[in-house]
Amino acid sequence: MNPSPDPLDPLLDRWRHTEAETPSLAPEVWRRIGVEERKKGALASFWEDLDMWLSRPPFAALFVACCALLGLFLAEVRVNRHERQQSALLAKSYLQLIDPLLKEDVVAKTP
Amino acid sequence: MNRGRKILLLGLVVGLATHFVSYTVRRTYDPSSLDGQLAWMKSELQLSDAQFARIRELHEASSPRLRALASRVAQMQAEFVAFENTRRQSDRVDFIEFAHFVETRRAISRECLDSTRQLVLESASQMTPAQRAHYLGIVAPASPEARAVVR
Repeated sequence: MNPSPDPLDPLLDRWRHTEAETPSLAPEVWRRIGVEERKKGALASFWEDLDMWLSRPPFAALFVACCALLGLFLAEVRVNRHERQQSALLAKSYLQLIDPLLKEDVVAKTP
Repeated sequence: MNRGRKILLLGLVVGLATHFVSYTVRRTYDPSSLDGQLAWMKSELQLSDAQFARIRELHEASSPRLRALASRVAQMQAEFVAFENTRRQSDRVDFIEFAHFVETRRAISRECLDSTRQLVLESASQMTPAQRAHYLGIVAPASPEARAVVR
């Protein structure tokens, strides 16, 4: 009487045929670890450099002044865009004020 | 927190504060009022105080008449809608009434055009050629004269 086949047999067969690990695996792992450490080091170095520069009063003042100017510039851009939209609205309202026929598009609706 | 990061945060706060203060203190015009529209015109056309005063006077003088005309135009529009509803429901057209309506409507349209033309020409006459060209460009959709000049 034959025993029923063990479900692990196919898996064990596959394991036997597995090729040996490539010899370059360990150096590749170390290379990747090195890249990650360099990245972390670069980030830490960036913050250290930034802290060093901003700790000097002239650079700190310059940085704050640049932030204020950037804020003003962006406000100017927003104001210009808003004014363009508002000008179109005001022109339309003014036209409706001076020409009653333009109100509610009555010209197009009535004979 | 070290000093560098505090300065970074300070810069961010100063930038944002400058931005919002500068944006909110800008003057805006109310498009729904005559005052707002005239103030906008003064700024847009760079009118002098004397020009502005005269143009304001002209607009204020014609404003009641234009409002009355706008009211009559709206009334005609309502009458037309009622007329159209009656025609759809009863499938009957009172041609005499309709002809009367069209005639009244034409008279009001003529009156509107005359009032608009008069106001535009009087206002434009207070302006320099460059201001006038800009003004006529703005009012071109309303005034046939302005359209002719702009073309």
